[in-house]
Amino acid sequence: MRGSGVLRPGWAALLLVLVAFLHPAAAGELSRKDIEKNFPPPLVVGEKDDRLPVWPILKQQAGSYEVFAYAFESLDFAPIPGFGGTPPDLLIALAPDGTFRDVKVLSHKEPVFLEGLGSEPLFAFVEQYVGLSARQPIRVGRPNARAGGAPPQTTVDGIAMATASTRTINQSVLASALAVARGKLGFGAANVGLNVQAKPDLYDRLSLAALVERGWVRRLAVTRAEATQAFRGTGVEEAGEGAPGDVLTDLVVALLDVPSIGRNLLGEARFAALMRELGPGNHAVMVLSAGPADAPENPIGDSFVMGAVPDRITVSQGGLVVNARDMAVERRGAGLGEGLPPGDWTILRIDSAAGFDPSAPWTLTEKIVRERGQILSEKIAREFSVETRLPADLFTKVAVEGEPDWTESWRARWPTLLGLGLMLAVLVPVLVRQKGLVADARRFPAFRLAFLAVTLGFVGYAAQAQLSIVTLMGLVRAALRTHDFAFLLYDPPSLVLWAFVLASLVAWGRGTFCGWLCPFGAMQELAAFAMKPLKIRQVAVPPRLDRALRLVKYAVLAGILGATAAASPLADAFAEAEPFKTAITLSFLRTWPFVAYAVGLIVLNLFVYKGFCRYLCPLGAALALVGRVRILDWIPRRAECGTPCQLCKVRCRYGAIRPDGRIDYPECFQCMDCVTIIHDPGQCVPQVVAKRHAKRIVPRPLAVSR
Amino acid sequence: MSARPTRRRAILGACGLALGGAAAFRALAEGRGLVARERAGLAFGTTVSLVAAGPDPEVLEAALSEGFAAMRSIEAAASLFRPDSALSRLNREGVLADPPEHLRVLVAHALALAGRTGGAFDPTVQPLWPVWSQAAARKERPGSEALAAALVRIGWRRVVCTAEAIRLEPGTELTLNALIQGYAADVVMAALRARGVADAFVDTGEFGAAGTHPDGAPWRLGIADPRGEGEIAAVIAPFTGFAATSGDYHMAFSPDFADHHIYDPATGRSPGGLASVTVTAPSGLVADGLSTACMVLGRERGAALVAGEPGCAVRFSEKA
Repeated sequence: MRGSGVLRPGWAALLLVLVAFLHPAAAGELSRKDIEKNFPPPLVVGEKDDRLPVWPILKQQAGSYEVFAYAFESLDFAPIPGFGGTPPDLLIALAPDGTFRDVKVLSHKEPVFLEGLGSEPLFAFVEQYVGLSARQPIRVGRPNARAGGAPPQTTVDGIAMATASTRTINQSVLASALAVARGKLGFGAANVGLNVQAKPDLYDRLSLAALVERGWVRRLAVTRAEATQAFRGTGVEEAGEGAPGDVLTDLVVALLDVPSIGRNLLGEARFAALMRELGPGNHAVMVLSAGPADAPENPIGDSFVMGAVPDRITVSQGGLVVNARDMAVERRGAGLGEGLPPGDWTILRIDSAAGFDPSAPWTLTEKIVRERGQILSEKIAREFSVETRLPADLFTKVAVEGEPDWTESWRARWPTLLGLGLMLAVLVPVLVRQKGLVADARRFPAFRLAFLAVTLGFVGYAAQAQLSIVTLMGLVRAALRTHDFAFLLYDPPSLVLWAFVLASLVAWGRGTFCGWLCPFGAMQELAAFAMKPLKIRQVAVPPRLDRALRLVKYAVLAGILGATAAASPLADAFAEAEPFKTAITLSFLRTWPFVAYAVGLIVLNLFVYKGFCRYLCPLGAALALVGRVRILDWIPRRAECGTPCQLCKVRCRYGAIRPDGRIDYPECFQCMDCVTIIHDPGQCVPQVVAKRHAKRIVPRPLAVSR
Repeated sequence: MSARPTRRRAILGACGLALGGAAAFRALAEGRGLVARERAGLAFGTTVSLVAAGPDPEVLEAALSEGFAAMRSIEAAASLFRPDSALSRLNREGVLADPPEHLRVLVAHALALAGRTGGAFDPTVQPLWPVWSQAAARKERPGSEALAAALVRIGWRRVVCTAEAIRLEPGTELTLNALIQGYAADVVMAALRARGVADAFVDTGEFGAAGTHPDGAPWRLGIADPRGEGEIAAVIAPFTGFAATSGDYHMAFSPDFADHHIYDPATGRSPGGLASVTVTAPSGLVADGLSTACMVLGRERGAALVAGEPGCAVRFSEKA
């Protein structure tokens, strides 16, 4: 290669990495040498295609070359942003028949793997694609889904705690493979994710003859003369004895799930039973052998294995074989319904995942096998097929073409979304009706602890919906560079929570999230509660230092978002200031410096209550900034608050009440302690005093300066 | 749809490379101070490969890159595999002003050969392709009506080619697939020579060789057995110049090879008689055109045609 020897590989790799950082949305960067490393001899890396960024990988075969695979980078075809907004880059090799030969991770910035689970689970994840076909939609299942019975041709095992990232990877693999398939292999995405079903109510009473006449039921007959012609030159032109016009096989071929076909052929009861057994979205093809039953050419004769994929009849579409398996419907006598000729028959089931489109032409192929030679016999096969074309108006297309993957994640997570909805439905009325539960000094603290436990366990660990600064970084990247905000849609619980938090910011300020819905915040508060018996003395932060420290979180936020905007590689490192990934996403299963940091913050919390939240949290800072648009001054105050009464200020564990009695909303966590006090005639000093003077004082909200 | 025409390679390439093993070859080549570089890829709807030998690997790599660039520019001009090629545009619009050089050379050669063969070679048979391929997809043969409808659109005199423009009569469509690979061998070889590469073997679907194998042995060309997959029927050695093969097995519509991608422009059906024809010639373009013409003309008239061409030789292989 030209210019070789100038750059040592290490430096070249470093340079490559730097270039990648400077141009995060840039195209794939692999050179011929990089590709050759992945496809070593005897494979040959062909000249890169001049129109698509695809490398043909060739195999030498008897002096000339054959295409082994097409290799490409997913980034060039489907730059789908990952969890942090940066698209992963995968090296994919697609065989000419659409099978994945190889899938490797070239680069990724998925936080859950980087420094978290490590990259090995991700590498193992993408290896699952090898051998699967890009012609079928592939889903990410649960961990061990395949062992648990999920269809192995259309499912890859997911990774716990990395659902969003694995979905992005899956989407990158499938979308880029389809783009290349369309460009190089001549098949498109039309069938993938497409679900074409027969209209169940469309029924015409038709005889077999009428169905054959319309071409809805097809016959495939092979005469002795035709077989002789096909086997010409093989030495087995003649098999058995008879006239040239004798029929060797005569197959009746019909797609049964169309009522006008299936119901007419099977009769009402059997058709209904079949449809129940088949299930929605799947298809059934009947093949009935009306030719001589004992002829060796009969593909459904004695050698037919029930319940198997037949070896001598295949269904194909678009040049590719569709997986069709005998349904092992019990054979009651010969023939299936009135008018059908007698003979052996099978009903083949085509799974909805096979991408079979019954409204497009499909072919049934029969293989006739003959043996040559007596001792070391050799099998010679010839194929005969018949095509079925059914009118498109018999069918409905259920799923739209190219349905985006995110709808699936919303459907799959509806129980989580329901749970979140319930939590919010409980929380909002409690905060609104302050004279209710909040005013109950005995029961409210218990409610609060219980709610926080749910926040930690359900929102944090179960739903994996810890909101994070990483999402804001993704937004910045999307706004400045990729202009693709679709990544938000792949994590429905977080998105729902974000929507609620934004609304609550406008109404009430930052505290609704920070004090109630942040799992790490809940963890700190629960830790403090658990350690209460130790009677740890809080460190008193001097007011001036406290005010200075509060500003640190804004600096952290500026650093992270600034680095992100500048596309600096430091951005992801800065984001580690947030311990959420360590403590919640990865449940402390991480290298020790990260664990030490997160645990340290929880210990700090025991001495400086929620020190991280108040002084360091970049997400909290961002919410506090946006929360300045807050409409409502909704924490009730009294005229006496501040002057002379300082009780709430002293009792506020967040230091969010100013000496003059006003609430500092950007610092308020809405723990409601002061609201409980103010509604408690036994605690609220002005009320205690007023009682002595036998006067009633009504608390009312006071305006605060912004 | 399942009845995709089967595709097979015509010639099995440079057998010379396989002899003696790679190590022995390298030792011999190094003894002569030469290195060889090979580059493979996809072009004209098939796999192609170029081998260049010489003292300086950088020169070889640059020459190979230029060889591939040459093939890309030919594809851009005259490939029917590319909907955006100049030829595809011409077929769609019926006229093409300022045709690219490659296209003009190919069309001019095709029309001249058509004149010399009395229309047995005809670049306007393209309308037959969809008729046959669609019928084959249904596992049928086209009816005589469909063929007749295509035949009225065929005739090389329906094409006018000048330096300024190429014009087609309405309904006419050109194919240069019978010439493009041989022509590409010429252009690639010229590109290599322009870089000072004297020893080269090019496989653009048809073949060209110059000089010798880097180990000093002559280039050898194996000719595939038209019926035995992967078997070699004959070897041309030494091989220099250009060779092109037309065969009924290359893209056959029927398992007995009776129907294939070469059509007799008079009938719209594939000519019987020959299984394959290999022509060697001083130019790949000439070799490629003659081999296709011979398939249609048959053994005797084909031999007479080739005999009239200086420096050309032909080998026939009959249908079984």
